[in-house]
Amino acid sequence: MAKVTLVEAVNLALARALADDPRVVLLGEDIGVNGGVFRATVGLQERFGPNRVLDTPLAESMIAGLAIGMAAMGMRPVAEIQFSGFIYPTIDQMINHAGRLRTRTRGRLSVPMVLRAPSGAGIHAPEHHSESNESLFAHMPGIRVVMPSSPTRAYGLLLAAIQDPDPVVFFEPTRLYRLNKQEVEDDGQPLPLDTCFVLREGHDLTFVSWGAMLHETLEAARLLAETEQVSAEVIDLGTLSPIDYETILESVGRTGRLVIVHEAPRTAGLGAEIAAEVAERALYELEAPIVRVTGYDVVTPFFKLEHDFMPSVDRIRRAAHQVLEP
Amino acid sequence: MKTFHLPDLGEGLTEAEIVEWHVQVGDTVTTDQPLVAMETAKAVVDVPAPWSGRISALHGKPGDIIPTHAPLVDFEGPGGEQPSPTTTTHPTAKAVSAPPREDQGSVVGHMPAAESVVAEQAIIRKRPAEKRTVKALPKVRRRARELGIDLRRVAASGRHGETTLADLEAHPAGTPTAAPRAPSANRASQTETLRGTRRIMAQTMSLARDQVAATTLFDDADLEAWQGRQDITVRVIRALAKACTAQPALNAWFNGETLEHTLHGHLDLGLAVDTPDGLIVPVLRDIGRAAPGEIRQELERVKKKTQARALEPGEMTHPTFTLSNFGMIAGRYATPVIVPPMVAILGVGRLCHDVVAVMGGIATHRRLPLSLTFDHRCVTGGDACRFLRTLIDDLAEPS
Amino acid sequence: MSITTAARFEIKYRSYLTPEGRLVGTPPAIASDADLLKRLYRMMVLVRIFDSKAIALQRTGQLGTYASCLGHEATHVATGAAMRPEDVFFPMYREYGTQLWRGVHMEEILAFWGGDERGTAFQNQPLDFPWAVPIATQTLHAAGAALAFKLRGEKRVAVTVIGDGGTSQGDFYESLNAAGAFRLPAVFVIVNNQWAISVPLKAQTACETLAQKAIAAGLPGVQVDGNDVLAVHEAVTEAVERARTGDGASVIEALTYRLSDHTTADDARRYRSAAEVEDAQKKEPIGRLKRLLMARKLWSDEEEKTLIQDCQHQVDAAVQAYQAYGKPPRSDMFDYTFAELPESLQAERAKALAEEGSHHG
Repeated sequence: MAKVTLVEAVNLALARALADDPRVVLLGEDIGVNGGVFRATVGLQERFGPNRVLDTPLAESMIAGLAIGMAAMGMRPVAEIQFSGFIYPTIDQMINHAGRLRTRTRGRLSVPMVLRAPSGAGIHAPEHHSESNESLFAHMPGIRVVMPSSPTRAYGLLLAAIQDPDPVVFFEPTRLYRLNKQEVEDDGQPLPLDTCFVLREGHDLTFVSWGAMLHETLEAARLLAETEQVSAEVIDLGTLSPIDYETILESVGRTGRLVIVHEAPRTAGLGAEIAAEVAERALYELEAPIVRVTGYDVVTPFFKLEHDFMPSVDRIRRAAHQVLEP
Repeated sequence: MKTFHLPDLGEGLTEAEIVEWHVQVGDTVTTDQPLVAMETAKAVVDVPAPWSGRISALHGKPGDIIPTHAPLVDFEGPGGEQPSPTTTTHPTAKAVSAPPREDQGSVVGHMPAAESVVAEQAIIRKRPAEKRTVKALPKVRRRARELGIDLRRVAASGRHGETTLADLEAHPAGTPTAAPRAPSANRASQTETLRGTRRIMAQTMSLARDQVAATTLFDDADLEAWQGRQDITVRVIRALAKACTAQPALNAWFNGETLEHTLHGHLDLGLAVDTPDGLIVPVLRDIGRAAPGEIRQELERVKKKTQARALEPGEMTHPTFTLSNFGMIAGRYATPVIVPPMVAILGVGRLCHDVVAVMGGIATHRRLPLSLTFDHRCVTGGDACRFLRTLIDDLAEPS
Repeated sequence: MSITTAARFEIKYRSYLTPEGRLVGTPPAIASDADLLKRLYRMMVLVRIFDSKAIALQRTGQLGTYASCLGHEATHVATGAAMRPEDVFFPMYREYGTQLWRGVHMEEILAFWGGDERGTAFQNQPLDFPWAVPIATQTLHAAGAALAFKLRGEKRVAVTVIGDGGTSQGDFYESLNAAGAFRLPAVFVIVNNQWAISVPLKAQTACETLAQKAIAAGLPGVQVDGNDVLAVHEAVTEAVERARTGDGASVIEALTYRLSDHTTADDARRYRSAAEVEDAQKKEPIGRLKRLLMARKLWSDEEEKTLIQDCQHQVDAAVQAYQAYGKPPRSDMFDYTFAELPESLQAERAKALAEEGSHHG
């Protein structure tokens, strides 16, 4: 088994999909010769040829629209959006067409496409490169939103997204791209979508997070265990829409305490959705009010302040204390 | 001399290796002139001079590993501040003249990178939720903690089977926190939803009615033999303590679900106190062992605190027996209501001068009407009668 | 330094059939294909009768808002006729002539405007895209489909239609650009009916023609008389075949006029003069084709009468079929959202269905 980073795992999954399924085509800006600005597609055009890995003109709405047309015609396009802040032009195409073509044709046409995009801050990047915009897409019916938090899940979930018969927006946490490595077996096995992953089992409180924030959340859970004898369960949402509430409710049913951690701004963030659902379905199980630790409702700051914007291990620990001593 | 320390090359790395020095000791360099090629785990980058000056020392030779923030180059002249690593060593800032280097994985920013291998478990868990045994809102749980009540012991009355705040405070150990009642300004009929203590009373009494098999015995204690001024309440409490010792079945708790009858070795007497806000029941702890003087003292203290609404939550929890001295106002006999899990309550009516038959004639005696309600689920009529007998006999003592 | 011409462009305009029904210039081959001309005519008449019936249904509360195609019949029908069955059509929302030619049922069109999703099922046309109401988005789908055809080496063409207003959209430019960059088998038909709801062409763009927008994308652009079924048919056929043989995409601007309101919810009298409409009326496409056919003795009053009766029967049958649809089950809302309904949606669906009994209407 190879020890690979998250971005290498993405590359492995893409290569595997290209090799296994002739319908799979990669398209995006600078993904061919250059291998993508984050090098996620490095070597793939060389290996699979320019008809499988396409450098497109520079227009994001076009990339999404092309992918929709290709997918409806039976291909499995995997489109890359270069930076998270550049994804907004795709919204019209994604909500008006990708998410509803199946409905608009009574299942006659469908859109098995993947829109890959980097997500999140913390890499010292220029403006418009550090956004967390998963909520925008999670609000779209007919679309899955997936975000891995480790090389293993990047590999397995990306394969699953490509194989899925419906559109998937696949956010890749940029900060984790090369943060560490994991042993990933390139066996072509997808991981299930629509399910959470329990990364740490515990009984005093439940953390729910996704993407890069799991890094801080797991660290907070570790410190709570080692310095305060607090046993925190850590749940990786995995698929951000639709959400696997059963795993969350089962956990909260035991711990009675829930802290949701996300990097995206607070208002109308996914944390609000999860908190609302848990309140509706498990309020009587709660020992303490649900607490969210999120980015602030501000424009993602330039990088000198980005770490002040992103939830820190300290903020997460304070939230844990808040639910432990309501 | 001032020293240039190896900056964090922006990739979150702890060290870097010297590939090649571009300068040597004695050289005069200008700001931004490449000093050294350093290799990190991800890239070879040229580190430029942070300022102009003459080099007095190089720390390390090609192949040496330099920890981040360790001295790299010494310059002649007065010391200066370490420049910001961002402005001098950002690899992408040097695109024009950068030597061939390893790809750093991004065209923007710094990719935090490490070689550490993470082992993790990721469990896909599909199992039915095992519900907590008690359903309650966080605020109810918090209140329960404040009151020191185990929620599992409180009967739940919520629509969804949840324990409510009212349930909690109806619980014998609960705090009857009285909310001030707005005085009624006019005398017209008006409907008022009960609040605070009165609301709790309504719920408690319903609960008692539903759960308890209440039976009441009536009798009078003849106080004719009393010598001098006696403190009635103190005497009643003394008599009660004696009766409880004689018949512990009544100084007890009963759990209807588990049918557990818990007999108490001490008397924590709940004293029903009438206040403008409603009925409040402070608890006189272990009052059976107190001397008469202490009883009076304790009574005064508790009454004062009750009227001032200054009772601590702990001063109202877990009574083992209740005494209601309603006769101070009016009424001879009553059928006082037991609050579970207690199993008995004594009502003391208005002291009267009664015409009684005495040996060979009639006389007037001072008599104290007593009403003893007991829970017939766990207390037999015999127990209760014997309890009352002991009580009456003790009250009849001269002092 | 010298100044030279870096590139030179011109836009050709084609028109063969005058409003009076006379052929001018060198007529295309189709002019001598009597059978095809009559088929085109029959379809144009059917479309017009269908259109007027749909408006009547809306005006009588039997249909929702409806977008009329009055005046566009030649462009729409000729576009359909120039395509092969295996090609794919990406409409906006009033190209009934193209759709009927390609096998879409009239009752499906009525169902769509009647608020019934079942209208998009296209029982007899499995490939074509449904109506695209957001303006210009469909042009990118056409480019994407064309890209799929090209990558798979299929001799198929994606044909899309857009209005004059739609050419102001970024998606339109992006699709033309992609079609040029990838040399895609796509055809973009701009149906320039002079009005984007209330905005006239001169307020929409400073371009002399819309066809010239092709130039910026490196595509050939041609302007045709959109009320001349021969000119449209020739231009689209050429473009489709050019695409099919691997020579890339084309843009055709068909000049026509929206004789109707934008939709039944619109009142065009608010923004345009009766005189202008009256003038456009004289150039409408069906009359001129009929005059040509009559002049050539390919058509008779008797045939005209029979055709109209036949069309009315067909339309009446479609209306009846549409009216027999009834209300779809509530579960329909859920069942086409995903290939397989996720757990969370299953719960919503079950709840909605459970509540169905307690609500009516």
